[in-house]
Amino acid sequence: METVYSIVASPNFKNDGICFAACQSGLYKSEDGGNRWYNAFDSLNPRKPLTTTSVAISPAFETDQTVFAAVGGAVLHSTDGGKKWEATVISSPVPYISCLSISPGFEIDGFLIAGTLEDGVFISTDRGKHWKPCNFGLLDLNILCIDISSQFEKDETIYIGTESGIFISKNAGKAWKETNFPPEFGPILSISLSPNYREDGTLFAGTESYGLFKTYNKGNEWIRLGENIISEGINSIILSSTYFQKPEILIASGQKLLISYDDGKTWLTFKNNLQTEDEIICVAAPQGLSEREPILLGLSKGGIIKV
Amino acid sequence: MGIQKGINKIVDAVKPTLGPLPKIVAIERILDERMPELLDDGGTIAKRIIQLKDPNEDVGAMIVRDFLLNLQDQVGDGTAIGAVLLQYLYNESLKYIVSGGNVARFKHYLKEGAEIVIDNLFNMITPLEGQEKLTQVAKTLCGNEELARMLGEIFDIIGEYGRLEIRAGYKRSLDREYIEGMYWERGVVSREMISNKRASKVVLNNPAILISDMEIHNPRMLIPVIEIAAKSKFRSLLIIGEEFSDSAIGLILSNNNPKKLKIVAVKTPGWNPEEHAEAIEDLSILTGGKPFIKAAGNSFDNISAKDFGFARQAWADKYNFGIIGGKGDPKTIRKHINKLRRTHEETADPVVYEKLRVRIGKLMGGTAVLWIGGDTELEINSIQEIAKKTSIIMREALRSGILPGGGTAYLDCKSVLERKLEDSSETDQIAAYKILLRGLEEPTRTIIRNAGYDDSEIIAQIKKAGKGYGFDALSGKIVKMMEAGIWDTASTLQSAFYGAVTTAIMALTIDVIVHRKQESGPVIPRTPGLKKRIKPKSKLG
Repeated sequence: METVYSIVASPNFKNDGICFAACQSGLYKSEDGGNRWYNAFDSLNPRKPLTTTSVAISPAFETDQTVFAAVGGAVLHSTDGGKKWEATVISSPVPYISCLSISPGFEIDGFLIAGTLEDGVFISTDRGKHWKPCNFGLLDLNILCIDISSQFEKDETIYIGTESGIFISKNAGKAWKETNFPPEFGPILSISLSPNYREDGTLFAGTESYGLFKTYNKGNEWIRLGENIISEGINSIILSSTYFQKPEILIASGQKLLISYDDGKTWLTFKNNLQTEDEIICVAAPQGLSEREPILLGLSKGGIIKV
Repeated sequence: MGIQKGINKIVDAVKPTLGPLPKIVAIERILDERMPELLDDGGTIAKRIIQLKDPNEDVGAMIVRDFLLNLQDQVGDGTAIGAVLLQYLYNESLKYIVSGGNVARFKHYLKEGAEIVIDNLFNMITPLEGQEKLTQVAKTLCGNEELARMLGEIFDIIGEYGRLEIRAGYKRSLDREYIEGMYWERGVVSREMISNKRASKVVLNNPAILISDMEIHNPRMLIPVIEIAAKSKFRSLLIIGEEFSDSAIGLILSNNNPKKLKIVAVKTPGWNPEEHAEAIEDLSILTGGKPFIKAAGNSFDNISAKDFGFARQAWADKYNFGIIGGKGDPKTIRKHINKLRRTHEETADPVVYEKLRVRIGKLMGGTAVLWIGGDTELEINSIQEIAKKTSIIMREALRSGILPGGGTAYLDCKSVLERKLEDSSETDQIAAYKILLRGLEEPTRTIIRNAGYDDSEIIAQIKKAGKGYGFDALSGKIVKMMEAGIWDTASTLQSAFYGAVTTAIMALTIDVIVHRKQESGPVIPRTPGLKKRIKPKSKLG
């Protein structure tokens, strides 16, 4: 396993222990909570490793067994939990997909969004069968991260982080508008919306060189958090599912995992037993942010750590 | 006296249209016997009044007409407000001057007082931001909930600069579409370059783009370009140049190989050197290419692969060419847009202003299309017209912000001027400020009278209610105007007031009128557009 770009876990992870990891050498699947991994592309018999840059799992995975994996300019999808795969080429000319995100209401709306390097975003509204570019108003086509509102069916809100700023769409990607995030603080490596975004307008953005930012009014104003503590690029941000009651934030910054229990005011090292010399590229916390629950980390030089 | 009569005649025709319960003004047609034209907007009424019989009155009327048409051109609205302000200020000022006031000093104080009002209006401005507020504003303007929702969303995305096309649709409902990319009004130099004959269009994927305003007469000029494109293994090439000779086109066509290197040539956008330069600047920033400028003595001789611009896609047909996903540096594109925005804010020339708006809109990445549906063609046309008018005012409101409507913003400026009046000791200053103070009430008073109420009584009630309150002519109640959704664009109120004061001052200074000898024959309207269409009968033969 080489560089791990993204890890996702089944919504029913506690019971089924299923998770996927998108890696330079392919897509890996674990069925025992991340202890043992095997190549999920075995059925394709690829002649050379299929570099997988992103993976997205259906929120209704338990029933539809649907997984999407971004491989170069194509999206592979499986409806049997990763046994068989079908490919859809996103468009011609073939773009390089950097991130993939799935609607929380995917079962009904079939909505998927793919961010690419240099070619903006592509959207599918038919469960990945067809894709079309949706870049109206996007001044930067280098997309590095995406997050979709948890109440997407009502607010149709998506945020994307690019090389030079953060853009919002309030109409399911039909058009984009730049937020007031200062472009000089880009690139934006990670974005995470509050589970209660529709009411509290809160989201966090992790940058490559300027730390963590928060907005509480849907991108109009941004404040920098943990300026003296967070010094390295932030590849991943996870908010607790009860963020509106207990504002817990977990970030992967360089080789460290940092957690704040007070909405970013103070920061502590999370999982003291974590020892790695590699940069943490992606994080999954399928059972929440408690110290007792497992966390899966994807590393830059390869390998997944379960802590 | 003649000038005053002329001013009053034209203002009296426009005045009934002020307020939400406008009275209709019927204008007799000049060229045919059809039913008179029924109008309810001041700008159009002013346009239709071409000439008054009395030459002295005509001078007064044309002064007002010119002021109203300029106002409509600049801010799209506010003609009725401007007209009533002008009438009051001119009439009262004339009375004062006739009674022995010092014209020069009086004019100075009138202008000084107007500046105080403008500054105060500026401090009261509420910026128009966010989809919710935009939708609310659109609803006030067009009275159509669905249309307001669409316009609110569109303007939240495209802002004051973005490109919006309002087209008749085929459905019953309204819809919006956002078309990515930008296009220029210049097509392929030869139809042979159009590969998809059915779609009459050629599409280039990941093209390299040569940006220039060169006149390519000698085909040899293109050889280094084609050589470097082939050597760099570009799959498609878009050549932009001012002119292409037949032999240059021949060279392009003979090297056009869809499997290896697909080449399309289009002319440099723009119709004059200035427009060429603007388009070249935009294209080079957008695609990251080096511009080759004829006037700078550039040539293609030493061209290298890094001199080309790049995009995700380019297309061209007989009339236009477009670029989707230009691969220029996003930060440079933003800086360029900000630079154009600053120039746009500073320019006073309406033509340059509109050109810059279009350029900014193009660079911001696309065209929003509002599709208007309806049950009948008549309904579609009517909604389309309303949508167009609403969008003009919304753009202006986005640019300048909003103020309480119904004349309330003017009423709220009175306190500042009253304080200045208390400190005044000079007779001409006191007279000028008093006229301005009463003039600030005139728009509200006219709206009240047009709605059939007693203006003195209602004005007293508004004063009692306090700042921000005004008269809602539809409900007949005193309300907090902004909360009730009754507002005007800030630029409209500022321009109407300042324009009315300066026009009144100008009219007051006319001492002598020189008339030209009137030639017999039909009246020629004074707007250039109409002049073209309506010619004197004698000349038509």
